[in-house]
This record gives sequence, structure tokens and C-alpha cells, in this order.
Amino acid sequence: MHIPDGFLSPQTYLPAWGLAGVAWAWAGRGLARRLDETLVPRLAMLTALAYALGLVMLPLPGGTSGHALGVAVLALIFGVRLAFLAYSGVLLLQALLFGAGGITALGVNALALGLVGALVAVAVRRLFAVAGDSIAVALAAFISLQVSALLVALLLGIQPTIARREDGTPLFFPLGPEITVPAVLLPHLLIGIGEAALTVFVWRHARRKGWVSA
Amino acid sequence: MNRAQSWLLLYLLTVVGITFVHQPGWLAAGLGLALLAAGPARWRLLTRAVLALLLFNVSVSLAYALVAWWQVRPVADVLLLMNLRVLLLVFLGFWLVDRIKLLEALAGWPLLAMIATLAIGQVAVYRRLLDDFRLAFRSRNPVSPTPVDLLRHAGAQGGALLDKSLHSADQVAQAMRSRGAFDA
Repeated sequence: MHIPDGFLSPQTYLPAWGLAGVAWAWAGRGLARRLDETLVPRLAMLTALAYALGLVMLPLPGGTSGHALGVAVLALIFGVRLAFLAYSGVLLLQALLFGAGGITALGVNALALGLVGALVAVAVRRLFAVAGDSIAVALAAFISLQVSALLVALLLGIQPTIARREDGTPLFFPLGPEITVPAVLLPHLLIGIGEAALTVFVWRHARRKGWVSA
Repeated sequence: MNRAQSWLLLYLLTVVGITFVHQPGWLAAGLGLALLAAGPARWRLLTRAVLALLLFNVSVSLAYALVAWWQVRPVADVLLLMNLRVLLLVFLGFWLVDRIKLLEALAGWPLLAMIATLAIGQVAVYRRLLDDFRLAFRSRNPVSPTPVDLLRHAGAQGGALLDKSLHSADQVAQAMRSRGAFDA
């Protein structure tokens, strides 16, 4: 559910870029030591999967698009830091090659989808570990998608309040949260089921291959 | 800083600058200027940009038009401003990618460049494999397949996709290893 270019005010995207820069530096620290010829192919494979998933999108009137992310599976297999970096790369490629998302919105999209999505996925899986592996993974994927969707909807929805002319007409995204939240969240409840099924499928594949421990 | 990186920097500054412009007239002038400067590729890039944002912006514009009509608020100016800005930004993005080699522009960030290289390679592998599977499935089914057939096919395709993709990425990683890419 990328936010496209031109919908976010500088009051939103500039601080987000700053925050994302700090997060990218944190995520990239010491990473070169972790990357080797075993990890890189797996990362490339699942990054490409996330890239492909992000391009099958449905435009939503709430100002964004509906699609599966693939962030949860990246986070559960590679950890939050690597998932965040890989997904940021995905967002950059999608923005430049397909006009999906955008450069100004990259910081917000990376934080909301890549970082928050990955953090929530890992936390939810730990929280529900006692329910069994597949259930915990499915819930992690489903809930992380909903949290990211909510965040995106709220960030879009506050635009008419924080960036408008003196007469009240919006300068950037024109619809408030009373529209964006249901318009973005409701379709993602359905998309989340697909995301959960896909994440469990890939997770089982990864477990069979011995990439992750049960 | 190489040429691609200079263009990338110029693009980033322009994009930020555009978001501080709130007059549709200036944005239209900017779009006109960009179209002129883009040379012979302009109409191809403009078509691509319009197609990329069409569904999306139409859905937002219609939703806003409905809300504004209900609340008796101005519509035309807001929609013109929003759509011109988005079109100009997307056009500039496509123009940049058309003009420079993306991986050259990312050369200053080795990790990002590596992830981008691998992801672009993998995307090509996925596309080829999906085409192969689709054609094979069609040739095996002279009549419409049942939902069970479709599900079985999707499962087999998904597994093969992951295996093939991993194999391909593994070969790339071994090549990178032999060239010292992972040496500290």
C-alpha cells in the first residue's frame, strides 16, 4: 500500500526521510559481515518476491493501493534490519521503474511498510509462538499488514489538516482519516488473508530447506 | 560523483522543490518545460506516466469530488493542483530512469546497489519462469481447468519458482564470491 509521489506534504516526508536515514544507518551497521554466498541468494529470492507482490496492486479511493507486501516473510527469515533494508530497496525500484510509490514518499513508505511491518511481524510471531508455528506465522503476516495499512491511512488522512491554504483547501492529499482509514483498512483485511497464506507457504519452504529453525 | 549520480541529485532537488509549489500554473509550466527538455522520448514517457497514475489518481479524484460536492467545497483547483503535481513527479522519475543507468546512480551505496542488482536479476528469472509455466499449463488444458487443477498448478508453480529463483541467485552469489564481493 505505497503512498505515491505528490500526496505527502514536505512537513511529512522530509522528517520521514530524516528518520528513515537514521533507521537505514542502524539497519546497515555491521551488515556486510553477515552477507555471504549463503544468505545473499535467499535474500535476493525473497526480495524479488516482495517486489513482484508489490506490483500486483489495486488502487484504493483512500489514496493508496492494496497489495500483499512480503515484508513479514523477509522479517521472519532474515530479521528486522535486513528485511527493512531489502524492502527499502524494493520500494526504490518500484518507484523508479514503475512509478509505484515515489521518491518523496520513500521515507514514509519504508518506515511504515518496511520497518514497522517487520517489527510487528517479529513481535507477533513471538507473542503467538505457543499457538503453533504456522498459526503464529500467519498471524504475524496478517497483523503486520494491518498495522502498516493503518499507519499509511493515518499519514494520508492527516494531510488536509497539516497542509492547506488559509481558506482550508488542501494542498496535498485531500481526504481526511474518516475516509482513508476505512478505505485502506477494509480491503487489507481480505488481502491480509492472502498475505498470511503466502507467508506460511514460503515459511514452510524455508523450514524444509533448513534456513530457519522451527 | 559520476554523471548518473549528478542527475540523481538534480532529480532529488527538483522533486523536493516541486512539492513547495502550490500554483497549478507553475506546475503546468514545469511539466511543459520537462516535456520540451525530454526530447523525442517525451510522448512515450508521458504516456507511461499517465498510465502509471491513471487508475490511482482517478479513484482519489472521484472520491474527493464526491466529498467536496457533498460539503460544498472547491473541487477543480484542488484536483488540478494534485494531479499536475503527481504527473510532473512521476514523469520526472521515468525521465531520470530513461536517461541514466540506475545501478550506476546507486554506485555510492554498495549494499543498496547489490540488493538492487540481485533483485533485478531475480525479477527477470521470475518473469521467464512464470511465462514457461503459463504456456505449459495452457498446452496441457485444451478445455478450461477446474479450480482444483488451478490450485495444484499454483502450488507446483510456487514451489518451482522459489527453487529456481534460489538456484539462480545462488549462482550469482558464487560469481560474486569468486570476484571478492564478500571479502571484508
